[in-house]
Amino acid sequence: MEQILLKHTHHGRCLSFEEYRFSGGFEALAKALKDMTPAEVQQDVIDSGLRGRGGAGFPTGKKWSFVPRDLPGPRYLICNCDEMEPGTYKDRVLLERNPHLLVEGMALACYALEVHHAFIFVRYGYEQAAGNLRQSIAAAGRSGFLGDNILGSDFSLELDVHQSAGRYICGEETALINALEGKRANPRAKPPFPAIKGLWGQPTVVNNVETLANIPAIITGGPLLWKNLAATPEAAGTKLFCISGHVVNTNCFELPLGMTLGEIIDGPSGGMRSGSRFKACIPGGAATPYFTEAHLGVPMDFDPVAKAGSRLGTGGIVVFDQNTCMVAVTLNLIRFFARESCGWCTPCREGLPFVRHTLERIEAGRGESNDIDILREHVHMLNYAFCALAPGAMGPVEGLLRLFYDELEAHILEKKCPFKKQ
Amino acid sequence: MPELIIDDIPAHVPEGTNVLEAARSIGITIPHFCWHPALGKAGACRACAVKMLEGPIKGIQMSCMLPAQDGMVVSTTDGEAVAMRRAVIEWLMINHPHDCPVCDEGGECQLQDYTIAGGHSIRRYNGLKRTHVNQYLGEQIEHEMNRCIQCYRCVHFYQEYAGGTDFGVMGRAGSVYFGRQQDGQLESPFSGNLADICPTGVFTDKTARFRARYWDYDMAPSICPGCSLGCNTVPMARYRELLKVTARRNDEVNGWFICDRGRFSNTAVNAPERPRQAQVDDEAVSMDIALDSLIERLTGFLELHGPEGLAIVGSPRMSQEAAIMAARLREVTGAGTLCYFGDVLHAERTLEAVSLLNTDNSTSQEDVRQADLIAIMECDLLTEAPMMALAVRQAWRNGARIFIVGSECRLDSGQQNLYEVGAAVSLAAVPFTEARRPLVICGIRHKGLEAIRDTAQLGVKTSFIMDGPNAFGCAMLALEQGAISFSEALAGGRVKGIISLEADLPPELSPEIRVLAAADWLSTHLTEKAEVVLPVTSWVEMDGTYVNNEGRTQHFKQVMKPGVPIKGLTPELHPPRIHRHDPPGGDILPTEKIISELLERLGAANE
Ligand SMILES: Cc1cc2nc3c(=O)[nH]c(=O)nc-3n(C[C@H](O)[C@H](O)[C@H](O)COP(=O)(O)O)c2cc1C
Ligand code: SF4
Ligand code: SF4
Repeated sequence: MEQILLKHTHHGRCLSFEEYRFSGGFEALAKALKDMTPAEVQQDVIDSGLRGRGGAGFPTGKKWSFVPRDLPGPRYLICNCDEMEPGTYKDRVLLERNPHLLVEGMALACYALEVHHAFIFVRYGYEQAAGNLRQSIAAAGRSGFLGDNILGSDFSLELDVHQSAGRYICGEETALINALEGKRANPRAKPPFPAIKGLWGQPTVVNNVETLANIPAIITGGPLLWKNLAATPEAAGTKLFCISGHVVNTNCFELPLGMTLGEIIDGPSGGMRSGSRFKACIPGGAATPYFTEAHLGVPMDFDPVAKAGSRLGTGGIVVFDQNTCMVAVTLNLIRFFARESCGWCTPCREGLPFVRHTLERIEAGRGESNDIDILREHVHMLNYAFCALAPGAMGPVEGLLRLFYDELEAHILEKKCPFKKQ
Repeated sequence: MPELIIDDIPAHVPEGTNVLEAARSIGITIPHFCWHPALGKAGACRACAVKMLEGPIKGIQMSCMLPAQDGMVVSTTDGEAVAMRRAVIEWLMINHPHDCPVCDEGGECQLQDYTIAGGHSIRRYNGLKRTHVNQYLGEQIEHEMNRCIQCYRCVHFYQEYAGGTDFGVMGRAGSVYFGRQQDGQLESPFSGNLADICPTGVFTDKTARFRARYWDYDMAPSICPGCSLGCNTVPMARYRELLKVTARRNDEVNGWFICDRGRFSNTAVNAPERPRQAQVDDEAVSMDIALDSLIERLTGFLELHGPEGLAIVGSPRMSQEAAIMAARLREVTGAGTLCYFGDVLHAERTLEAVSLLNTDNSTSQEDVRQADLIAIMECDLLTEAPMMALAVRQAWRNGARIFIVGSECRLDSGQQNLYEVGAAVSLAAVPFTEARRPLVICGIRHKGLEAIRDTAQLGVKTSFIMDGPNAFGCAMLALEQGAISFSEALAGGRVKGIISLEADLPPELSPEIRVLAAADWLSTHLTEKAEVVLPVTSWVEMDGTYVNNEGRTQHFKQVMKPGVPIKGLTPELHPPRIHRHDPPGGDILPTEKIISELLERLGAANE
């Protein structure tokens, strides 16, 4: 299984700038600046089939193509490293091991987008990642890969690291833009989309860390070679999967997109822990509906996962064994989302605490049959919230109702959690 | 002009109208909290959900966020839309207190209305309600944060519309909090609008709390007498007490808001000790006796000094009706002098300003809001006409350039929060030609006539900030009637006695000059000196007309009956022990009626 993101990296330490250079780092940038036009770089990204790794899986090249090039004033690129979704820690692993890949990827993206000032929005608490990035940016600047007239070309780029004050909603791209502007991190209404009107009202692309870190390999090896790293003909490239829960190896692995869930759990994850049987998992970060045993054969790629009723999301897989109460799992997730609502719109701000309260009662054995109606209504109505946080938050609740209805009902009928002793 | 169909009714609306407003235009009210015509869309409350059946966008949508487009077919009655709107009310009621009977907003609360309308009556959430600590926000606005439904209107108004910096939103998720960093007086001179704009009872007018319910109020459309702009208001009263003043929408004039000075100005009207009892030589008498006595004294005076010695003195405080009647009184008595202004400079400037204005160059507050370049000339807007400063801010927010000219444009009084200005040495230095909708706002309180002439010569639209709610009307009459200022009349040396009609004159009036009578609703040194005191109604106790600074004639209606407020009655007077038709202090008349009574007694009523 070929790797491109974690290749040459070492567990527990950060690749030095020299090591990165030695292993071929910044050659993609040199190649692009020497031999390619910005449009050609963008075309390679389109041809590669790269889809955003931040959760929504939007085709990256297509997103770039929405950016108008003829408006007056600057354009911006923002790298989204807010990574606060429970179960997701891939961007941290990548940046703690190899921040240079992101710096080079951003330089390439900025060249393609003709952007001269870009920002990396780093989650509160990601001190190590932010420090690594600052060092890498300084080193790249000293070596002429950033700054004015990069490698003698007429392309110039300034990269800034911004450390977030911290909140999950800061990862939503328009809330992120508000936060970067120094405003409250409430999402903005779309349209206009950031590609047209983003940071300080200018066209702005927001991409995830992992998305951007893939660009150098696409440019070096060409889009086809990169695409074919995947496990199925439909999928494109590799993906960082972060595994947690009741498996043997809880770690972040770079795997071909399109491997089945079962292969991931039994292979790199080392299977279930002794005494544990697979019951369910969150397939793509806390905002995705559960998978069960029935889904072990689903290829872990955007479209197949969506067809199976969930989302690939961020690739954060959390595995649960037979002793796990899915009501308790859902309650745990909803507690997070209810706390992290930005407070802007009614369905999310008031609806999530209502769901939390309802699940608390059910889990405590005080549920009533109409509580299930309450959950159902919220799954439906939270679709009409202002941003994607609330519908995402209802992913696990939707999964609970669809896949674990019996377990839910048992809580209500038995007036207790069947997984709790006494 | 998009054409769309809402609940089977076709609607044609101007480009840029949202679906919520389009529905309004054909008489369909879609519930909403965060959207406000003056503040625009927010998309926060999600109460205005509708179902889009046909057209470019389908499914459940927030009608405030969606510009109306051709071919849209909208349902407000679709089951899913109704369910969504009901869900929003249920969510909002999770934390909202259930104690409408002890809330001052009760009866005029949007949440109450939509909760009833939406049919939410059974509580399914049985957890605890979120609670907040209230803040002290000064003596005018009460804060009850538990009633908040997080529509964000208050912040949008306070920070964006009005440029306030000491109030905002804090916290996140279910605990967002709307208030100040610390307890303390709200700093914005427009803070009172929070009480109007909050759809629930978080912000209420502290000066009127718990005094009456909406259906108890005596109220009528009125005009603010606080300055020359003539902002539209709805004063609310009960038991002959003016309780509060709220803003009345007029898109051409004040828009949706008024300033705090206009809003919190009840004290003088309600003062029990204001002139409420006719007096002759400090003896309380009936109005009839006072009028008879005045006629007697007037006859004697005219015999002694001749009509030359008499001055009829009014002021820009009086309604246009009273000002016209004052001219008639001069005609009938043959009085040597008619004055509407005390001070010569004030009179000259106002008359000149009025004669320079015409239908093409006069400027409404809406013109100001739409301008792209504004020169403010010798005027401290926040002192002289606060709402004009707010109008200038709206232009500035839309990209207008603002220039100040002259030394009176103070920027230390809070104006610096409202807009950024460039200073220009003179009007000639302001780049009017670079703008498409330029205008000048010129104060006339401070600098002389030159500035006024300069202003008009530019050929750009002009707004003169005058003194008094009917300064324009009085100046027109003065021009027509050849009225002069009182200081000029004094200098002429002819004045031996005056009849004061709501006049404001300098206190150092020579004791040689008899104050035959003073008609006023305010206590002034003239009512103290007058031989005959004729109490009159204030603007909320009568119908009348003011002509505002742009020459706009605006009518105001009687809000309440005159008389000592029940609150001001001593135990001897309340409860009443003698049957009477008028309440104590209720047998007073508007100034123009006083004059017509005099005219009748002079045998000149029907000429
Ligand atoms: C509530 C919420 C939180 C999000 N958090 C993140 C995040 O932490 N990191 C991220 O890359 N994208 C996050 N996203 C997705 C971003 O809005 C955006 O789609 C993404 O950064 C685009 O990058 P991509 O196209 O490279 O995937 C979040 C979205 C929502 C609705
Ligand atoms: S769904 Fe609404 S309250 Fe929740 S995070 Fe998005 S905008 Fe904020
Ligand atoms: S205080 Fe009033 S206006 Fe402000 S958010 Fe709450 S309900 Fe809305």
